[in-house]
Amino acid sequence: MGVLVKKVELSWLDRTYVWPVMKGMAITFEHFIKQLFTPTSKRYTIQYPDMKKEIPEGYRGLHELKRFEDGAIKCVACFMCQEACPARCISIEAEEFSDLNITQGFEEKRPAIFKIDMLRCIYCGMCEEACPKDAIWLRKEYEVAAYDRLSMQYGKWDLMNTYAQADGKDRISQDPTPSVPRRTIVM
Amino acid sequence: MDKLASMLHMTPAIFWMVAKVVIVFSAIMLLASVWTWVERRGSAMIQDRIGPNRAAIFGKIRLIGLSQLLADGIKFFFKEDLVPDDANKGLFWLAPFLAFVPALIGFAVIPFGKSFVSGGVTYHLSVLDPGNGMGLLYPMAIGGMAVYGVLLAAWSSNNKWSILGGMRASAAMVSYEIGMSLAVVSIFMTTGGYDPADVIKAQGHLPWAWNIVRQPLGFIVFFTCMYAETNRLPFDFAEGESEIVAGFNTEYGSMKFSLLALAEYSHLMTASALVATLFFGGWQVPFVQNPTVMLSVASFLLKMLFFAWVFVWVRWTLPRFRYDQLMHLGWKVMLPMSMVNLVFHAWRMSQGH
Repeated sequence: MGVLVKKVELSWLDRTYVWPVMKGMAITFEHFIKQLFTPTSKRYTIQYPDMKKEIPEGYRGLHELKRFEDGAIKCVACFMCQEACPARCISIEAEEFSDLNITQGFEEKRPAIFKIDMLRCIYCGMCEEACPKDAIWLRKEYEVAAYDRLSMQYGKWDLMNTYAQADGKDRISQDPTPSVPRRTIVM
Repeated sequence: MDKLASMLHMTPAIFWMVAKVVIVFSAIMLLASVWTWVERRGSAMIQDRIGPNRAAIFGKIRLIGLSQLLADGIKFFFKEDLVPDDANKGLFWLAPFLAFVPALIGFAVIPFGKSFVSGGVTYHLSVLDPGNGMGLLYPMAIGGMAVYGVLLAAWSSNNKWSILGGMRASAAMVSYEIGMSLAVVSIFMTTGGYDPADVIKAQGHLPWAWNIVRQPLGFIVFFTCMYAETNRLPFDFAEGESEIVAGFNTEYGSMKFSLLALAEYSHLMTASALVATLFFGGWQVPFVQNPTVMLSVASFLLKMLFFAWVFVWVRWTLPRFRYDQLMHLGWKVMLPMSMVNLVFHAWRMSQGH
């Protein structure tokens, strides 16, 4: 397979080289003037710490573990997300709360430990898709950074509170005792 | 002024000379360093970017990015001054100065304003008074010296890439010098003298009597060759990141590097002053018969800074030439063109124009 060389016939004006140069200079000057009189907020450059990009819908950022209105975790520790995770960054330990059992309409199982290693996470969103309870969401927060590795291990309470401030909710640090059944079980 | 001169134990003539030297060369150096900022911001604007604007004095005063100059200066000053083991140490130290000094002193003969009479003494606004016998041959000769800076910097580094860059840059500079000199010679011919004051006087204050209109071909040749002379794009053969690392200044760091960079911009300033003097009537103000001194200085500065800006503008518009294209352009296009220009004007003069 040979390389196809495209020969372009130049007019005498183009072959002088002076005219094309002046055309090019006009283009760059137009850009210069346009940029000079554009206010900073309307330029292409987003000056990051001062300005932030508008995050599109469907963006996969930092995770949130969703909660019910009384503050109980939606997650039922089914391990689906852990199985689905291609980066294997999720580790869950389940616990039962036996005295509030399924006959009363409460969830029977919840995670005691729900850990995501943010250094390993690739933000693919597979956990969100796998979740049968819609309990894990990847939302718009993207500034995930820390000074050491340990603080990049997000625990259950970190994950439940990631968007608490943005949504105007309280930060929670313990499981509430459910008082109302979440669903009616017909036995 | 006499009082100030006697306070410093100098005659007024010497005082005036010293004042001129200090003011002119510090102005050029200042403009050169400011032009690094213009280059960066200007290129950013041309490419729809913003450019350096975050450096701030005391974390507050940003001065639309001008504090970046200060930050760069401080950084260069405190960098380790490395000299490679196998470098030719003497020449390695000497080369930045050899690049910087010719770039600066080429400005000496160029009048940057109208001469004026004060107290029976005529003051000329150029470092060397007109009638010094060197005239505009001097910046040409000094421009030839600039080859030494590049070549010595390259040679003394003892680095293949440096020497490649230095060799081809000096080849380009030498070959473009001929075309440039011939373009200048035809100006000398029509002027009847090579003193910059004569050249400016011959052009007069009307823009259509300037050499740009009289000798457009000469202007094109001179202007093109100026870029090769100063090693600016599209002919920047001293450098070339994709081919020869950083070119002639690969081994340079800290203040020596900054001196080489400053030399480039000083050269640019001198070159644009030369273009303004030769082809755009120097300090002449368009349509003003007898401008005041301040007006003439402002006019000259405006012209000079415009051409300095054109240097930046061209750099961010045109792609680079290949080396053989450069040589082709220099020897087969620019040289014949300037010869045609010379012969044409000689013929016109013989016809009594």
